[in-house]
Amino acid sequence: MAKADLKDILKDWRLHAVVLILVSLMEAIGQFSFKVGPGVILLLPMVYAFVVGLALYFTPIVSDKMAKNAEPLIVLGVTLLIAKIGVMIGPQIEALIEAGPALLLQELGNLGTIFLALPVAVLLGFKRESIGMTHSIGREPNVGLIVNKFGFDSAEARGVMAVYIFGTVFGAVFLGLIAGILATATPLHPLSFAMASGVGSGSMMAASSGSLIAAFPGMEDQIVAFAGASNLLSSATGLFFSIFVGLPLTEKLYALMTIRKHRKVLSQKGGSVNV
Amino acid sequence: MFNQAVKWTLVLGIFAVVAALGNWIGYEVLPWVAIPGLLVLIAISVLGLLLEKIVPGNIPSVGYIGLIGILVSLPFMPGSELIVAWTSKISILALATPILAYAGISIGANWADFRKLGIRSVVVALLVFFGTFIGSALIAEGVLRWQGII
Repeated sequence: MAKADLKDILKDWRLHAVVLILVSLMEAIGQFSFKVGPGVILLLPMVYAFVVGLALYFTPIVSDKMAKNAEPLIVLGVTLLIAKIGVMIGPQIEALIEAGPALLLQELGNLGTIFLALPVAVLLGFKRESIGMTHSIGREPNVGLIVNKFGFDSAEARGVMAVYIFGTVFGAVFLGLIAGILATATPLHPLSFAMASGVGSGSMMAASSGSLIAAFPGMEDQIVAFAGASNLLSSATGLFFSIFVGLPLTEKLYALMTIRKHRKVLSQKGGSVNV
Repeated sequence: MFNQAVKWTLVLGIFAVVAALGNWIGYEVLPWVAIPGLLVLIAISVLGLLLEKIVPGNIPSVGYIGLIGILVSLPFMPGSELIVAWTSKISILALATPILAYAGISIGANWADFRKLGIRSVVVALLVFFGTFIGSALIAEGVLRWQGII
């Protein structure tokens, strides 16, 4: 947990004042939605708060020290969010047990990442970086796994760090946007997207399920319970899934794809395939 | 240990004040109506943070916090109706907004790293997140339909 002294963070009244004003303004603006083709793009106060907070970092209002002090508050804020999700899951426990098979099986959805992103990564010219990039959504446990297995200086580690950095900066905003668009533009049920929202990161889940709630306000309790349960499950199983399924599969597919590419190059040159 | 718990409570208290204000402005719940629910959530969080320190093993605090939240709100638990009624006054979005506000401020420090990512990396990263999201949704849809739940 927080290495910085919480006492200093408590006393950083400027930081809390900035956040207080920021949150008040953004909540006063409220949510916006606009139609794009068949879907709806939802913009929530949490998205503006994030973007404006990021912009403020580049102004004199926010110092480097404040940015450092803000980190433990994210961790502690997420604990309150998880507590809130917990007390929304309890009353829905029967519905969740009934949907247990779907909850468990959708964890395999992580494989969608490998099948969709790995070929593109290879096509774009990434070498072994693509294994680190696409074996999972690259959160902290996955970074640990890759660094542990391939070493900090490896191509795989560079790959997983790229996705980690992207996810840290834009993961929540991106998932919030696509959740709103996909849930309104596709015939899939909001509860399916609620389960998909539980990717194993509290803020990403909040942004994604937040958009779903904004699009389907009548289903708020169910959406949060399903997203929260899926998120707990992802957090608990995500690393093991990467170790035993995600990473080995990505390595196999990568080997397969690069062999083919290799052969193609050779046959174009008129060389032997059996090199 | 006690000292640490007091500090956690105070920091969570600051966070709760910001959330209560957002909850009032954005979701029209008067702050004093939200207080009991916020106190319950703070208590659950502090208990979970303490358990992480006390209990041997590598279970992160959010695991305990989620479990405690679920346990105290199960329909057959005594007092659960009150806990659910109090905490229902706090919108989950009102809790998420301050988290992302603090996140935005702190992530500015990562901006230099982010700028170094090339466009190719960003394309792959977008597909990574899109892939897991749509993959999970498609499987969930299939199973829920097969079970006749939706």
